[in-house]
Amino acid sequence: MENIALLLNGFSVLFTLEHIAAAFLGAVLGLVVGAMPGIGSLAGCALLLPLTYKFDPTTAIIMLGAVYYANMYGGAFSAILLNIPGDSPAVCTALDGYPLAAKRGRPGQALLTANFASFIGGSIGIIILTFTGPALADLGLRFGPSEMTALLLIAMTSISWLVGENPVKGMLVTILGMLLAVIGMDTLSGTPRYEFGNLHLLGGIPFTPFIIGAVGFSQVIKLVMERTKKGTEAPQMRLSIRGSLLSLHDLRRLIPPALRSGFLGTFVGVLPGSGATTGAFMGYAVQKKMKNEDELGSGAIEGIAASEAANNAAAAGAFAPLLALGIPGSGTGAVLLGGLLMWGLNPGPLLFSSEPDFTWGLIASLFLSNMLTLAIAVAVIPFLLKILLVPVKYLIPLITTVCIVGSYSSSYSMYAVIVMFASGLLAYLLDKNGYPTAPMLLSFVLTPLLESNMRKAFIISGGEPFYLFYPSHKPCPDACLIFSYQFSIH
Amino acid sequence: MKHPLCSRRITACLLSGIALLFLCTGLIYHGFWDEGPLPGFFPIIMSALMLILSLAVLFRSYKDEKPVVYERDELLFIACTLGIIVLSLIVGLLPATALFIVLWLRFFEKSGWKEIMIVCACAMALAIGVFSIWLDVDFPLGLFDYFAY
Repeated sequence: MENIALLLNGFSVLFTLEHIAAAFLGAVLGLVVGAMPGIGSLAGCALLLPLTYKFDPTTAIIMLGAVYYANMYGGAFSAILLNIPGDSPAVCTALDGYPLAAKRGRPGQALLTANFASFIGGSIGIIILTFTGPALADLGLRFGPSEMTALLLIAMTSISWLVGENPVKGMLVTILGMLLAVIGMDTLSGTPRYEFGNLHLLGGIPFTPFIIGAVGFSQVIKLVMERTKKGTEAPQMRLSIRGSLLSLHDLRRLIPPALRSGFLGTFVGVLPGSGATTGAFMGYAVQKKMKNEDELGSGAIEGIAASEAANNAAAAGAFAPLLALGIPGSGTGAVLLGGLLMWGLNPGPLLFSSEPDFTWGLIASLFLSNMLTLAIAVAVIPFLLKILLVPVKYLIPLITTVCIVGSYSSSYSMYAVIVMFASGLLAYLLDKNGYPTAPMLLSFVLTPLLESNMRKAFIISGGEPFYLFYPSHKPCPDACLIFSYQFSIH
Repeated sequence: MKHPLCSRRITACLLSGIALLFLCTGLIYHGFWDEGPLPGFFPIIMSALMLILSLAVLFRSYKDEKPVVYERDELLFIACTLGIIVLSLIVGLLPATALFIVLWLRFFEKSGWKEIMIVCACAMALAIGVFSIWLDVDFPLGLFDYFAY
């Protein structure tokens, strides 16, 4: 009951004109950016990060949360109408969404199914977050430096394993992100290190330009080749809200898989490194084993509902470890964490007690964003094809402008633009050679926390090298590292 | 432009070089342990691990037959962006960006002037309206900075 009282307090924080306007703006921008094929939630959040500078921390993170959340909705639009997933979690949606839209001639129903399933899955995820977040934070308060070290290692090893094809390459870029993060001042002693005589490097690599470059600019380089690809011709579809309404029979087919995937997706989202993509694939795989009216892959409503509910639930579930432990579950979570740190907030076990207005305001804003995004997603149905068919060749100079101007405005210096360019080039080179970039972002954000905890653990242990593996007084690190190892192996 | 196999090896060598640089700098300048972990403690462990992994990737790259292709258009785009940064030192950031949009759309995409003007106006409205006016960002004017003050 205490959580409900705190949530109501969060709604009282949320219900100001500024916060509601920020959530609305975030939902619209997130939906549009998420719908654009090839941009995705990670690049979307990174590119929109500079727009939040003007706001106070609570308003800024409410907007960014809405952007992140609406991105998950938007990814389904191009998957259903063009058979091009806006983002990786929407891959499974395309398997049934496009056949239902193009072959069976029910594009509106496919879109509404995706929207309603997203809403149901997201709502389940946020309700579970409301009740488990504080409990997770209480557990986190009992963690010492060694437990935090083990937990951070789990997050990093699992994402480096799960993202990309080659786990060795995943580990390699994770460590690269760590080394880039140690440039600047030492977190414990305050002495400069790895600055190589450069005054700019003394302050470390700035977060915002690094993220904009590694995610946004590298994505634009990839879009240069995407623009020549065939397959984005205008489909012969007419979309209207009235023509998209679902029948009672459709709703009966939609609700059970959406509820099931909602719970499953939330559980997957809480696990570090798994994120919305794994959630969507698991939701779809489980649905495949169930009894369906149509075979999955042929335009089944159950397939769309299962994958969309799971990916939105996972997106909401990922907020639990992010807020309660300060550990993001995905690359997009890392951008949000970076945003929180930028505004002077320290996500972790103390956040719920030290910043209750902010934390519960954010959770309340997720409820509002979920409803706003559903309403906007339904309202834009008649205009969707026009939004989706904006030629990529016009998007390239526009996104490049945002990358350059956005990174400059983060520190009022051309050094930031150079960092953006260099990190974009690095991410492009890594991507070309089969290295995933998401683990690099995650480790870049988490390294200061990992390093300080690891060093504190070694100071406490008096230099015992196996302290993290065989602690004499606390069983948790041992269990955590074994779990990490097992997770990586499987 | 095709570089079969070569690119994977170069990337692995580059990563090995970065690891070696951090390892040596850490050992020489920052130290590892002196009655407790020193500033170089964490980077030394991680760079040593990175060196091992990058060498493993380097050896495996000899077995990888999938070539890495760098497209001419992508490289041209990277060069153009670098051009914006250099040009911004002379004419300022926003004029350099606007010039890039015009030249890119006109000569690379072969777009009409109407489309170019619309895209350029949208980009400048975003840059000036959102960043310059709303967020109070003063963009560099290049050499014109000397005349402005």
